[in-house]
Amino acid sequence: MALRDRYYEHQRPILGTVSVIGFFLLWEWQLTSVVTVDPFFLTQPSKIAAAAKELFLGGAIWQDLAVSSKAFLWGFSAAIIVGIPTGVFMGWRRRAEYTLDPFFTALYASPLVALAPLLIIIFGVGLTGKVVLVFLLAVFPFIFNAFAGVKSTDRLLVNVVRSFGGKEKDIYWKVILPSILPYMVAGARIAIGRGIVGIIVGEFYAASEGIGFAISRFGDTYRLPEMFATILVLMILAVVFTEGLRKLENVLAPWKIGQEAR
Amino acid sequence: MRTLANFYREREPAILGGGFILLLILAWQSVPALVSLPKGISLFFTTPVEVIQTFHQLVVKNQIQSHFYVSAVEFIVGLALAILVGLPLGLVMGRSKTLDAMLDPFVTAFNATPRLIFLPLLILWFGIGIWSKITIVFVGAVFPLLINTYEGVRNVDRVLVNVVRSFGANEWQTMKTVVLPNSVPYIVVGLRLAIGRALLGVVVGEFFAASRGLGYMIANAATNYKVDVVFVGVTIFMALSLILTYFVKKLESRLSRWRPETAKNY
Repeated sequence: MALRDRYYEHQRPILGTVSVIGFFLLWEWQLTSVVTVDPFFLTQPSKIAAAAKELFLGGAIWQDLAVSSKAFLWGFSAAIIVGIPTGVFMGWRRRAEYTLDPFFTALYASPLVALAPLLIIIFGVGLTGKVVLVFLLAVFPFIFNAFAGVKSTDRLLVNVVRSFGGKEKDIYWKVILPSILPYMVAGARIAIGRGIVGIIVGEFYAASEGIGFAISRFGDTYRLPEMFATILVLMILAVVFTEGLRKLENVLAPWKIGQEAR
Repeated sequence: MRTLANFYREREPAILGGGFILLLILAWQSVPALVSLPKGISLFFTTPVEVIQTFHQLVVKNQIQSHFYVSAVEFIVGLALAILVGLPLGLVMGRSKTLDAMLDPFVTAFNATPRLIFLPLLILWFGIGIWSKITIVFVGAVFPLLINTYEGVRNVDRVLVNVVRSFGANEWQTMKTVVLPNSVPYIVVGLRLAIGRALLGVVVGEFFAASRGLGYMIANAATNYKVDVVFVGVTIFMALSLILTYFVKKLESRLSRWRPETAKNY
């Protein structure tokens, strides 16, 4: 009886773990004993694990991750540095909102990755093209979330600062900045996904190193275990960052916030 | 004078917003006239007028229609499949605790990951024909639909469910009379996000593995330094996504007029 109570208490995590383990076992087992599998078409978890071990111990994947992270970090930092002030400005100045909002909304709604080939022929195959692409994709979530954060600022607090003789600067630092923080986390969560898109599209298209390049090269050479291993590494990274930020968001602001793709 | 000021005040957002975009286009157009571009840059430079002329040429010479057609088919079939799979799965996951707990790890993992990383794998599996693009559109669009449908089902009013239950409704009748109508606004939000992902899938899928389609046209033009053709393609994608988003948003605000809280976006 006690065991059953325990189960009901932790039903969700138990069922989740069981289904994930079951999925991998089934994958492994199914492919070895039920159907004969074409190694050019599909692989199995044990081979993927072996390939992952090889990639990590051999250091190949670290190299690729380093190259991709560098481009990602540059583009992402630029997006933060440009996006947040722009969004705050738009949220604080009504005319700035009227002027910039339609233009940015149009850019945010459109698939800017379509510019990837052009950016790459302009900036070359190296770092710069990818940085620009990541920036273009990641900047809008920051703009629109900073904007939404400022819009949601408590007018009362602004008035209090004003009444006590606070300057424009004080309003920015003491009221607006703290109140947009949770929005920034939400923006970062969305921007990370878009930034990864920028990196992998840039690297699929034209690169000689990097994680996206690794995936497409393994695909081209039919090295499926290595390909799956790299994809899994990228998936784990994406889940860790996205879910981590979502948790942070819930801590900073338990109510629901955030502006998503418009 | 008074009336002009009033006219401006009433339409200030439209005038400033539209004016800014117009100004940018004009500035872009007049760059070559104002500064003489070095050869390295002029190679990559085009003007809005040139882009429009190129677009006209492409249409007249019938060179863009087949690309457009292929992209449209990929988009529509992929999105339709995503709706056919995402909606029922979202409904079922929202109603069944067990299934929800079992599928949630997969949904979370795939939703957090940009599905474009599966593109090389899908090309390996489905070749460079139309099906690899349909599947990339599908995997891109299915998760926002699934998750928003799920959220809609989860946010259904318990009281209403209990009422129809008390009157002897079975699961199917509960679904039809309470759960589904309640989820519609959420589903529409999911659809809007799904359209964005689907277009992304079409563009990127065609960059890497295609011999037709607007994405292919863009990539091909870029390698041949036909920047005006690149912009024709980019503009078409922008226009499409703006038009589609506009209509879905209209639908959204119509459907959720009575609903104070906003639907969950992923």
